[in-house]
Amino acid sequence: MAIPKISFSATINGQKIGPVDLPEDLMAVELLQEYLNLTGTRLTCGQGVCRACTIIVDGEEGSRTVPACITGIAWLNGRSIRTIEGIAGKDTDGRPVPSPVQQAFLKHFSFQCSYCTPGFVNAATVLVESLAKAPIPVAEVEGRILTALDANLCRCTGYVRYYQAVREVILSTPGLTVDGPAQTANATVKA
Amino acid sequence: MIRVLRVLCLLVVLGAVAAGLLMWKGWGAGPIPPASVDLASLDGPARADLIARGEQVARAGDCAACHTDPDGGSDLAGGMPMVTPMGTIYGTNISPSETHGIGGWSADDLYTAIAWGVAPGGRNLYPAMPYVSYHAITRADSDALYAWLMAQPPVEKPNTPNRLIPPFNLRFGVSLWNAVFRPDAAPFQPATDETPEAARGRYLVDVLGHCGECHTPRNLAYAMTGQPLAGNVIEGALAPNLTPDALVQRGWTAGDLERFLASGLAPQGVMTFRMFPVLSHSTSHMPPEDIKAITSHLLAGRSAPGPVPRPVAGTPDAAGHQLYLGLCAGCHGPNGTGQPHSSVPLNTNTTAMFDDPINLVRIIREGVEARDLAQGERMQAMPGFADRLDDTQMAQLVSYLRQRWGGHADPVAADRIAEIIRRVDGVEAAH
Ligand code: FES
Ligand code: FES
Repeated sequence: MAIPKISFSATINGQKIGPVDLPEDLMAVELLQEYLNLTGTRLTCGQGVCRACTIIVDGEEGSRTVPACITGIAWLNGRSIRTIEGIAGKDTDGRPVPSPVQQAFLKHFSFQCSYCTPGFVNAATVLVESLAKAPIPVAEVEGRILTALDANLCRCTGYVRYYQAVREVILSTPGLTVDGPAQTANATVKA
Repeated sequence: MIRVLRVLCLLVVLGAVAAGLLMWKGWGAGPIPPASVDLASLDGPARADLIARGEQVARAGDCAACHTDPDGGSDLAGGMPMVTPMGTIYGTNISPSETHGIGGWSADDLYTAIAWGVAPGGRNLYPAMPYVSYHAITRADSDALYAWLMAQPPVEKPNTPNRLIPPFNLRFGVSLWNAVFRPDAAPFQPATDETPEAARGRYLVDVLGHCGECHTPRNLAYAMTGQPLAGNVIEGALAPNLTPDALVQRGWTAGDLERFLASGLAPQGVMTFRMFPVLSHSTSHMPPEDIKAITSHLLAGRSAPGPVPRPVAGTPDAAGHQLYLGLCAGCHGPNGTGQPHSSVPLNTNTTAMFDDPINLVRIIREGVEARDLAQGERMQAMPGFADRLDDTQMAQLVSYLRQRWGGHADPVAADRIAEIIRRVDGVEAAH
């Protein structure tokens, strides 16, 4: 019996894909790794538990994470997706420049084996983007980081350095908190 | 005119007399059987024996279901909310604390509370205490339970005041209710033509297990009706029909039902909502012969040929199919076969088979937390999809699941979904 297909198209890291006929029950992680050679998304538990495979889906209400291992392309059809390959920026010579979250993870030695890292980068990126839309008081930052990254598992590091890195990004980026040091600095500059 | 007034007066007086008679009938407790043991003269080993039996009674009666402390620490310290149409009732402290619990009670007091619904001092308990089911507890079981309760550590935790809507907060009203709906306390007797296993099963299901308190439909006075175990929506979830026909139609075999009660999991489903605590406090601790007795009583000697997937009904919703592939198939499989010990099969699961889709909608919206079931069984967390499905999409997905595996061809409309969500949110708000 032939596997039923769907006509799939999406925007992945800013690039249009499709329309292309793909097996209807394909999971996002298979699409990325097997069809698009985007191997940075890590398949670990394959059951939606560890979040190593976290990717970003952009919608009208903003960005959100989904686990690529259990999210079918049927749900991603027509949507705009970012994977770890799409997070870094580029300098004028086209060389990759780590995003602030990536930079902070490097600076804080947040990871060891790095298997969980693409998932953490994406989850933290979505957190930062959501705070840019709706900043929170500094007092709530710790709680928000814990909720946003709670589902992401790391077996090497004990999470503290991930936490510290994300906290630093949030506190040092203007506009993510309503009363953080970055706000005060900014206000002084403006004044 | 005067005649009319006279007749009216007469009616009012008759009404008052009738109410008075009912109150009198439903007030307080009736006679109680004599104690089964002389607790004072029990020696060490005999007492230990009695206490061990009492623990089994507490497990089978699932006292902890309502009397547990939701903040943890004690199964008996109370505080568990129960949402009823009359308001919210909190399970009381039944640890042997003198101040807050039942430390000052005698074995007679405990029997009277369990079988008649009347606490010391003649205080009527609310029928959330399942004395209508427990009315047939044997005095021996009540006494064993007493010995066990008194051997537990007292917890000095005050009771949470109930939040009942007037007039249900007036306890004398319970007398009227009792007069009409409360059976007289009468210790369980096996029927003459009943095997010991059948009698045990009936006792466990109808009396100690008080299964009907959730699974039997209730009337307007919130009393159980004469259709035992025919299914009922309670606290925002469907407690399904457990009559033999219904169980067989949903594919329950005796072996699967036994597994389900003992381990929380079977091809037909997993213990969820209020049944998860029933598993962890009660059924997973029951001896295998009791589980067998319950099963054979429920199935009444019948059994399905096996958990066979139902044939597709009608045309499965096309949009629902895409949603299933995109959101569900990653764990449950494109053909609903599930994965052992992590996600349940949906092709034999009974949730989509129920006429009322409330449980299906809730599971999809809310998800289920990761659970250690029993006997090594476990299930990984299922995420909730409330933020990814609007009412229309939920209707498409629910219709699809019901058509593909539930045997229900008719689609569920989006406004039905909205109504279910409103109903469920109402129960949540009352907690
Ligand atoms: S691999 Fe997707 S959540 Fe673990
Ligand atoms: S760095 Fe190894 S799992 Fe996180």
